[in-house]
Amino acid sequence: MASKSNRILTMSHAIAEGIANEMRTDPSVFVMGEDIAAYGGIFGATTGLLAEFGEQRIRDTPISETAFIGAGVGAAMAGMRPIVELMFVDFFGVCMDAIYNLAAKNIYFSGGNCKVPLVIMTATGGGYSDAGQHSQTLHATFAHMPGLKVAVPSNAYDAKGLMISAIRDDSPVLYMFHKGLQGLAWMASPEKAATEVPDDAYAIPLGEAKVVRPGKDATIVTLSMMVHRSMEAAEQLAKDGIDVEVVDLRTLVPLDRATVFKSVAKTGRLIVVDEDYSSFGVTAEIITSVVERDPTVLKVKPRRLAFPDIPIPYSRPMEQFALPNAGKITEAVRESVKKGR
Amino acid sequence: MILSDIAVPEGLWDTSKTPEGVVANWFYRDGSTVEAGAKIAELMVEKTVFDIAAPAAGELHILVPKDGIVRPGTLIGRIDGA
Amino acid sequence: MKPSKNQLLWMYSAMAKARYFEDTMAAVYMEGKSPKFDIGAGPVPGEMHLCAGQEPCAAGVCVHLRPEDTVTATHRPHHQAIAKGVDLKKMTAEIFGKKTGLAGGRGGHMHLLDPKVNFACSGIVAEGTGPAVGAALAAKMRGTKAVAVSYVGEGAANQGAFHEALNLAALWKLPVLFVIEDNAWAISVPKSKSTAVADNSVRAAAYGIPGVHIADNDTLAIFTAAGEAIERARAGGGPTLMEIETYRYYGHFQGDPEVYRPAGEVAALKAKDPIERLRKEMIANGGVSAAEADAALAAARKEVDEAVAFARQSPYPAPAEALEHVFA
Repeated sequence: MASKSNRILTMSHAIAEGIANEMRTDPSVFVMGEDIAAYGGIFGATTGLLAEFGEQRIRDTPISETAFIGAGVGAAMAGMRPIVELMFVDFFGVCMDAIYNLAAKNIYFSGGNCKVPLVIMTATGGGYSDAGQHSQTLHATFAHMPGLKVAVPSNAYDAKGLMISAIRDDSPVLYMFHKGLQGLAWMASPEKAATEVPDDAYAIPLGEAKVVRPGKDATIVTLSMMVHRSMEAAEQLAKDGIDVEVVDLRTLVPLDRATVFKSVAKTGRLIVVDEDYSSFGVTAEIITSVVERDPTVLKVKPRRLAFPDIPIPYSRPMEQFALPNAGKITEAVRESVKKGR
Repeated sequence: MILSDIAVPEGLWDTSKTPEGVVANWFYRDGSTVEAGAKIAELMVEKTVFDIAAPAAGELHILVPKDGIVRPGTLIGRIDGA
Repeated sequence: MKPSKNQLLWMYSAMAKARYFEDTMAAVYMEGKSPKFDIGAGPVPGEMHLCAGQEPCAAGVCVHLRPEDTVTATHRPHHQAIAKGVDLKKMTAEIFGKKTGLAGGRGGHMHLLDPKVNFACSGIVAEGTGPAVGAALAAKMRGTKAVAVSYVGEGAANQGAFHEALNLAALWKLPVLFVIEDNAWAISVPKSKSTAVADNSVRAAAYGIPGVHIADNDTLAIFTAAGEAIERARAGGGPTLMEIETYRYYGHFQGDPEVYRPAGEVAALKAKDPIERLRKEMIANGGVSAAEADAALAAARKEVDEAVAFARQSPYPAPAEALEHVFA
């Protein structure tokens, strides 16, 4: 059916469709969270699901994250496949024990005898003035906890495929979607975040990064919203004859270090871009992964662009100053390409 | 060549309060083949989203792109049903 | 406990000021966001949570408070900030993200902190309950008569932090008043779908403290109940839990399509507007003249207009100021 294969979905609808695909074939899949039923999720990730599946399987919860995420772990261990939404990743503080001491460790504590097929999906990201408790990305916070897989789609096609993989995974998966990529009518999003999405249930394996733009002069490793900023930078740089390779990590845990290394070995120049805080995070991990394997692949020092180590400010000029953007990325690539060392 | 208009319906919202809306998203690229009844676009007026369905099957021609301003009756596209 | 004429006028003024502020903010927020609603656009970007309709919850309690008393509030804080005496110009400038704001633009509307009047709010549900307990603890340790008031919504009554705070305050017999503003909706979820009991004030029994329920957004009933609770707290009698049945005219946040709200609900609520009710009551039985009421209203609106003008005229911070004030 021609129209289905060229149909474009926003990332929010792609996530909802991935969930629907699995819910149609697996009665153990259900969704819990705040405002995910009639409202369809504050960021649209469960749009249309209540109408199709009803309120037993699409459940609004009270504002009780520790209880319902803990319940998600329990239901998963009892044979269900729950998807639980943490409305904003910034709210993790009230339920972190259920995530990192419970969900992430029970498989290990059982010596592999228990499964925890739980998906925690959560909205990340800023850039639209939502201030310090509603704009964080926190990639490193969750990637750092052993026992938790972490998926971070940058576009609708990947979002659906990664969600399907996450649901099918018997380990707990934290699925982080950037609000500014959802294609919501009321929040600006990059045009390329919405893509053609096949309507069948396809899976993109966790742990596979993707070279979204092949190039030879420098490698940008990035994720989430910053994939789009990096692609804008790459377009700019191409006009000046600088050919940048962009690697979209897609998953943080398991981390596809092989694809990253292969790219840097090819180009010799590494720039890592992350919207999360700079110190002790994704940018450090990527650089270290390359350097500890073979520092001689680098022709120049590696660079990283990330949010400074400050709470995210509300006022627009301050937040925009702090965020990585295409201009800063372009500048960093030029610096790398220019220098002899 | 049978051309069907895709126009913003009259009476969708209270225009005395809010005269204009925007095209929030297109769900098919210009030149795509669409089925009759498929959701092809969404409009946003203030904070409410309205779905726009294809009036016929055929090739989509987009006249008003994403973020374009619309009023009731605005022709946002056409379907070539030939 | 009956309010004096001055107290009536004070409450009316605080409520009218908050209402006018909210209605003004509703319009300002939409600047730059039309015809395409882009949450990041305009002079006041980001989220905006307005409290029009909930003014009695602030006025009826804060009338009993002094600057040294602490108030912690939520993401819907404007009425409490105004009633607590937060500097309105600095608060408005903060909401506009200006250098002259309470935090130089770093916090915005959900993170208004004014140590001069011991007011703080936060965007995480129930997060303010702990700090209110802490302020009360400090007062007790220092031997002052200061009290703390923690405001939460009815949705917060199902969050762990709320229960821990109540137990701790009760256990240590601290001078805290916990106020639940039950505005019936936690974004799209009604109380009946989130809470195992119909009336949260009964939960006070779980902590061995008094629980009070106020129906129908009644300013004078709030005044009396809050007055008693605060007196008890100052005298060393420990905490109280109060739930106020109130309502919000606007959506959860500006831009909320409110599809969950039954048609006609807001209109019915406006028909029994609490500010109008207080005005009628204070003129009929409180010894306030219509002229005095009008003068208070005019003064309140003028203060808001001046605060908004100040905010608009103030400069933005220099971008690199983002790096300042991470640490003390």
